[in-house]
Amino acid sequence: MSEKREVTLTIDGREVIATEGQMLHDAAREGDVEIPVFCYEPKLGAPVGACRMCLVEIEGIPKLQTSCSTPVRDGMVVHTRTEQVKKAQNAVVEFLLVNHPLDCPVCDKGGECPLQDITTGWGPGKSRVIDEKRHFEKPIELSPLVAIDRERCILCYRCVRFSQEISEDSQLQLLERGDRTYVGTFDDRPYISPFQGNITDICPVGALTNYTYRFRARPWDIEQAGSVCTLCPSQCNVSFTVRDEKVKRVIARDNHDVDDGWLCDKGRYGFEMFDAPERVTEPRLKGGTKVSYEAAIEKAAAGLGARDGRVAAIVGDASNEEGFLVQEILRGALHSTDIDSRPAGGPGIGTILELSDPARQAKVADIDEADAILVLGTDPMGSSPILDLRIRKAIRRNGARLVVATERPTALDGGAEAIARYAPGQATHFIGEMTAAVRGAENVATPAAETLRDAGKVVVVWGERIGAAATDALVRLGDALGVTEADGAGLLEIPEATNARGLREAGVIPDAGPGLAALAGGRATEEIRQALIDGDLDGVILVGVDPLRDFGDTAAWTKALDAAEFVVAFSTFTTATAAKADVLFPLETHAEKDGTVTHPDGRLQRVRPAAGRPGDIRPGWQTLANLSLAIGHDTGVTSQPTAFTALTSAIPFYASITDADIGGRGVRWQETESASSLPSSTASAGSPASPADAPSSAADAGADSQDTQRERASGESVPVAGANTTLALGTYKDIWSGPITELNPPLKFLQPSQHLELSPEDADRLSIATGDKVRVTQGAGSIEATALIKERTPEGVCFLAEGIPGANANSLLNGHQVRVGVEKLSEVPA
Amino acid sequence: MPHSLETRVLLEGAEDPRLATLQGYKDIVGGYATLERAYRDMEQDEVLKSLEDSGLRGRGGAGFSMGKKASFLPRGDMPKYLCCNADESEPGAFKDRELMQRNPHQLVEGIAIAALAAGAGHAFIFIRGEYDSQADVLDAAVAEAYEAGYLGKDILGTHRDLELVVHRGAGAYICGEETALLDALEGKRGNPRLKPPFPAVQGLYGGPTLINNVETLSNVPRIVANGADWFRQWGTEQSPGTKVVSISGGVRRPGNYEISLGLPTRELIYELAGGPLPGRTVKAIYPGGSSSPVLTAAEAMDLPYSFEAMAGAGSMLGSGSVIVADNTVSIPHMALRTARFYHHESCGKCAPCREGTNWTVKMLERVVRGEATPMDLDIISSVQENIMGHCLCVLGDSMAMPVAAMVRKFRGEFEQVMAEAAEGIDPHVVVDAPVETLGAAT
Repeated sequence: MSEKREVTLTIDGREVIATEGQMLHDAAREGDVEIPVFCYEPKLGAPVGACRMCLVEIEGIPKLQTSCSTPVRDGMVVHTRTEQVKKAQNAVVEFLLVNHPLDCPVCDKGGECPLQDITTGWGPGKSRVIDEKRHFEKPIELSPLVAIDRERCILCYRCVRFSQEISEDSQLQLLERGDRTYVGTFDDRPYISPFQGNITDICPVGALTNYTYRFRARPWDIEQAGSVCTLCPSQCNVSFTVRDEKVKRVIARDNHDVDDGWLCDKGRYGFEMFDAPERVTEPRLKGGTKVSYEAAIEKAAAGLGARDGRVAAIVGDASNEEGFLVQEILRGALHSTDIDSRPAGGPGIGTILELSDPARQAKVADIDEADAILVLGTDPMGSSPILDLRIRKAIRRNGARLVVATERPTALDGGAEAIARYAPGQATHFIGEMTAAVRGAENVATPAAETLRDAGKVVVVWGERIGAAATDALVRLGDALGVTEADGAGLLEIPEATNARGLREAGVIPDAGPGLAALAGGRATEEIRQALIDGDLDGVILVGVDPLRDFGDTAAWTKALDAAEFVVAFSTFTTATAAKADVLFPLETHAEKDGTVTHPDGRLQRVRPAAGRPGDIRPGWQTLANLSLAIGHDTGVTSQPTAFTALTSAIPFYASITDADIGGRGVRWQETESASSLPSSTASAGSPASPADAPSSAADAGADSQDTQRERASGESVPVAGANTTLALGTYKDIWSGPITELNPPLKFLQPSQHLELSPEDADRLSIATGDKVRVTQGAGSIEATALIKERTPEGVCFLAEGIPGANANSLLNGHQVRVGVEKLSEVPA
Repeated sequence: MPHSLETRVLLEGAEDPRLATLQGYKDIVGGYATLERAYRDMEQDEVLKSLEDSGLRGRGGAGFSMGKKASFLPRGDMPKYLCCNADESEPGAFKDRELMQRNPHQLVEGIAIAALAAGAGHAFIFIRGEYDSQADVLDAAVAEAYEAGYLGKDILGTHRDLELVVHRGAGAYICGEETALLDALEGKRGNPRLKPPFPAVQGLYGGPTLINNVETLSNVPRIVANGADWFRQWGTEQSPGTKVVSISGGVRRPGNYEISLGLPTRELIYELAGGPLPGRTVKAIYPGGSSSPVLTAAEAMDLPYSFEAMAGAGSMLGSGSVIVADNTVSIPHMALRTARFYHHESCGKCAPCREGTNWTVKMLERVVRGEATPMDLDIISSVQENIMGHCLCVLGDSMAMPVAAMVRKFRGEFEQVMAEAAEGIDPHVVVDAPVETLGAAT
């Protein structure tokens, strides 16, 4: 990024330093001069100048100018408090209130309302309007989550611009004209978007309110508590609105380096589950008997201690400190090396270290300035929604060129310059081809590679799902794209678990301890499963994971957990997995937990307790430290600060980071003095990857064009008879599957059902129409689904969602690439 | 026959219906000769210079120098556009309709030559939806011009191209505002854009764009053919040339009259338009369309009809549309009628216009219903002041200026109407007299 020139201007007699091209309004704010405004919001892109509230006097220009749309110039002299400006400010406030109902006493926004604040600060102080105001039916449902009160609306354009320029769904429009104008959707259809809640944050009046918060509290009843949302790897910064120790609302807490000030609806509306009846609120024994912490720890310590050396651990939703303590228990107290934090294993420590090289790492904000973006093996809309918005922004505002290379069509396809589809399980092969194509070879990946070759700064947003072997290949692709050479280029992972990076760095992987220090390899997730089945392991600790729902091959996991002699589980909610536990401990939610997490780009962030813990829930660090002590290993952890210190002392590249460094915005360890302590990748290269993720035997087949797809579809040997009646199965995680829609009543309407996505060609061949009920069979397993014909799905391939109750695609998986038979059960009613 | 006070330049030969055809345009006024010369022999700068030297001022309302505007377009290979604003929607204005109806080829030729000056390769005529038959006339003329090789690729073998598209608007006044016109042309909601960037820098589809009124562009062929001195033989130093003036309201012969700018307003109204109807007197006029501050008869009659004289009197020449209010017209009702128009047409994007027009209408309605007090007149005046200069485009000012002028100049009448209405007296004095109507060019 080229450095922009600094300019000096004078606002109300103060000297203000600004950046050339900056809007006057922003320069004034940074120079501590407040100019009132409604429509302007830099996050929304170019100004519209609609509200006219920010008019200022600029010497040399006869008419007042809107400061939101006037770029600063060197030597500019600006006045914001002259009689002329005051008159204009009074006038605009008066105009905005001509049709505003002034129903502040019954309005949810009252007390935190920009219109209220600006009216009292810059308005005339009295009203001259005695005429009838405009009327609308109110409030009405803009969507099941957002209510709209059109009488309160001051037509500032913010929500409409959000819909058009940020989420790019263009559903919100201004209808009618003049003072009859109102915000609505085509044909009054509900506003459906996974980001819709943002419009309630940016509405400067009480026109858009959340149904989840209407009449729940007034600003003087509440406290705001900043934390980090850990519902997905985006780790957006949030602020919890807390009343009487309960979370009543979640709002965005702008952090340009993480979320750009936006939140997805999952993070925003997924808080009522904190008090769901399904919450585990105290330690329990098998069968549901509630016990005290002391008794539970004693029983767990006895059960685990008796199986010293024969216990494994799998960690999912946990903080860095919790992960660190679990590996302390495993390695220190139980003398085991079988620990993992990845649902299907992953690359060896050598590859992890290569990926951790700061030169290869892209940070989130790099997306904004990228010349080209490659989205590889993931659909950010489902896996890290806020990055979907970030990528759209880079294309819209910075002209970034996008390449999408995935198995399944993504939400970003529409903005992509090139799209490549590879068959499920063929990521390794495809990435290899792409690497060759970037280096000049002609192959299936050439069209996509051409956009990226010599493109300048390339940011690769990739999904952990591509698998271990593909991750090794990815490092080579990144090098071919020159990511190590350009500042602002690099790889950015979207892992499966929220805190995947932090857990790996805390040592929750089989072949490295804290600080990614290579160790003799233990078992990875799927090997742990097999060892439990085979009786090579006797016990397992499960922290924040639900393998029976979320991991592939449900039958094998059931067998493994049944075979395990002793299971200790930590879970937020009662799940099928939790029911298998001999001792079950509760987990805190991100509104209750105190601890750190590490963003996929290396940013340590702090999750702070905002709400009270329901029932008898104790902090995770405390339970784990006490459990370790009870087994006979003293971790020295007696509080969250000591847990944090234990963590940072164990990880050399975290060593210099203090709680104050993390503060409210986090700190990337790569940007601290400890960064140089990262072990070098060559020292530990060669650690084997988990065999479950090795490329399948058919990896040499082409994977991109439809022709190749067809060849593969008919050429591969398959267990189901009649190759042309079977389809290669790909699975994905739906953004709305899981507790988020099952345990949050306001989101229940979004609960997904199982759909079999297939190409128009295959649907035609199988005489299946969208809406038909089908049975999908693999081996002995089968599930029912509704057919959904989806353009851009390659021929020969179909997709099912994971984790759908009663029809879980994970039950069809067996650790290898599978093919499924599809049978029509009934046709969609005409 | 044209009146002796008229100066027929743009309307030369307008009596002959054959003028609307390409052959007629060539035969009657020697049309397309200038285009041929300009495309074959002239460079961009030469055309531009001749337009700048002529001092031709925009005929759409703002009166900005046409040549200067064209010179603001950056040079370079980027796509550039020319838009002809034929969205003539101002109450009182109907001159472009006549120019397009009677002499469409003059406009087409003007556009082609102006495109040369602007370096534009693509031109549009944005015509208001209500001008349906005029759009048909233009469509036919454009087709003829393409057929004759005056438009399209490689015009007259000169390797110069120009595509010209006639686009019909959907009937919103705001689309006559140049940036709203661009949005509408792009298929968006017709809302004004923030300026800067001005269209000359970033206009249609983000490209540099020259936007001119029908009459402005119709002047181009003759200026380029005959030179600036020829053009400056008419008009005044600051308002050179002739102007087609639309006169309507309380006069005997409403219609379009082409005059040399600077003609005394009295002659315009009393000689050309025949003066007020029998038994009536002129009370006030809008000198330049319904958005110009009204002048009382006493203020207006002795002024020369020119840009500078109208500005000097605190009003404006605007699009050159004179609306005459005689002594039977209730000024408060005229103010309300004017305000209602702008309230109806406000796009609603910016607060002062959206709420100001609406509030003004409500207050004026109370005035004519007799439910107001003199204090409301002060509020009306103050609201107009609060609108002026604070809006995103000029629509808000277009209501505020005439309404403010009416309240200021006819306050007594407002108070009288208010008082009479409160007592149930109808303020209208309707005189039923036969109206002698003679269109200017018919």
